[in-house]
Amino acid sequence: MIEFNEEQLQRYSRHILLADVGVEGQEKLCRAKVLIVGAGGLGAPVALYLAAAGVGTIGIADADSVEISNLQRQISHFHHNIGDAKVDSAREKILAINPEIKVNTYYEYLRADNIREIIRDYDFVVEGTDNFPTKFLVNDACIMEGIPFSHGGILRFDGQAMTVVPGKSACYRCVFREPPPPDAVPSCSQAGVLGAIAGMLGTIQAAEALKFITGAGELLTDTLLSFDARNMDFRKTRLHCQENCPICGKNPGIHELIDYEHGGCGIKSSKSVAA
Amino acid sequence: MHITVNGESKEFNQAEFSIADLLEEAEVDSPEMVSVQVNGSVIDRSHYADTTLKDDDEVDFLYFMGGGRR
Amino acid sequence: MTTAIKTRIDASRDCRGIGCPMNLVYTKVELSRLAPGQVLEVILDHGAPINNVPRSVIREAHEIIGQNRLDDGAWQLLIRKV
Repeated sequence: MIEFNEEQLQRYSRHILLADVGVEGQEKLCRAKVLIVGAGGLGAPVALYLAAAGVGTIGIADADSVEISNLQRQISHFHHNIGDAKVDSAREKILAINPEIKVNTYYEYLRADNIREIIRDYDFVVEGTDNFPTKFLVNDACIMEGIPFSHGGILRFDGQAMTVVPGKSACYRCVFREPPPPDAVPSCSQAGVLGAIAGMLGTIQAAEALKFITGAGELLTDTLLSFDARNMDFRKTRLHCQENCPICGKNPGIHELIDYEHGGCGIKSSKSVAA
Repeated sequence: MHITVNGESKEFNQAEFSIADLLEEAEVDSPEMVSVQVNGSVIDRSHYADTTLKDDDEVDFLYFMGGGRR
Repeated sequence: MTTAIKTRIDASRDCRGIGCPMNLVYTKVELSRLAPGQVLEVILDHGAPINNVPRSVIREAHEIIGQNRLDDGAWQLLIRKV
């Protein structure tokens, strides 16, 4: 049992007051390790809320640096961070909120040959990248390592999220099978996104991570939550594990991780670039 | 024929109706960016044209959603 | 005015001078250290504290086994952990 000091009791009081979290739930949060893949539109709010919640160890993987065009939505990066590695910028804000957090940064591309080793240390992964090769890579690696994760995607005014618990619920590949042809993916710079959508979806993903760790509530497993912020329509679509899923089905055809070709955004290698 | 598309009830006059037809009817811009689930089963992309829908089928269009870097 | 009841008390926390919601936070911390069936004594100020804390404790399924006004006007609350 963790003996919380007075400052921690004050800091985490709103969690401790919650019947579904309480002292025990806060202890779990303080001991938890969560990896955020992509420190962009989604990863930024996730990092801030996990830090605020006292998640003991937060890992951040991103190979990119902060650009001025990121600041419209990637709220862990400030004007003075332009040019900094996103992982360093995010770490600065995490520690500014909560100096007790242990932060691990991975300023590198996530690839088939390094991802399993990186994610293995974590209890939960939050995937918030903008590209399908990395989304599929994270899904497959998490299935192979048995690590639960949250998928998140945003585009224009829309967002979607699902939570995958390997061996228990439908995975990203059950639903989406394989990356869309690169030339069909709308070029990110052309599609655009309303900045606040990143916050809406990122906080949903952060909430899923906190719920998984504390055991509170029901996760977005076997469920695709999608919303259209133009009219604030939220919809849950029931999903099912697919017997013919190539990674978690009865006769999986995928036994090794795949580095898919990147298209669309002109990203050349399997970068953990954030949305 | 009555089909539920993304939770909305729809009536269609056609007797024979494939997933490809439905995608066209629903004016889905880029069908490559949609995964289609019929009564809980995800349909292989290569079978959109030869999978015909029945009365009272429940169809979900699930959109690929990446993000918006830059 | 009643005096404190005589019952076996396994832990005690004086929350006089501590407002809401920290008095409930301390109560929950003390309860988390007890085993089911053990009894916690909490001393609460008159007013909002004694109105709010018991209600919250009951909502989490613990049992209030006593609530007594003390000589100084504060309240003794006895809680049996679920």
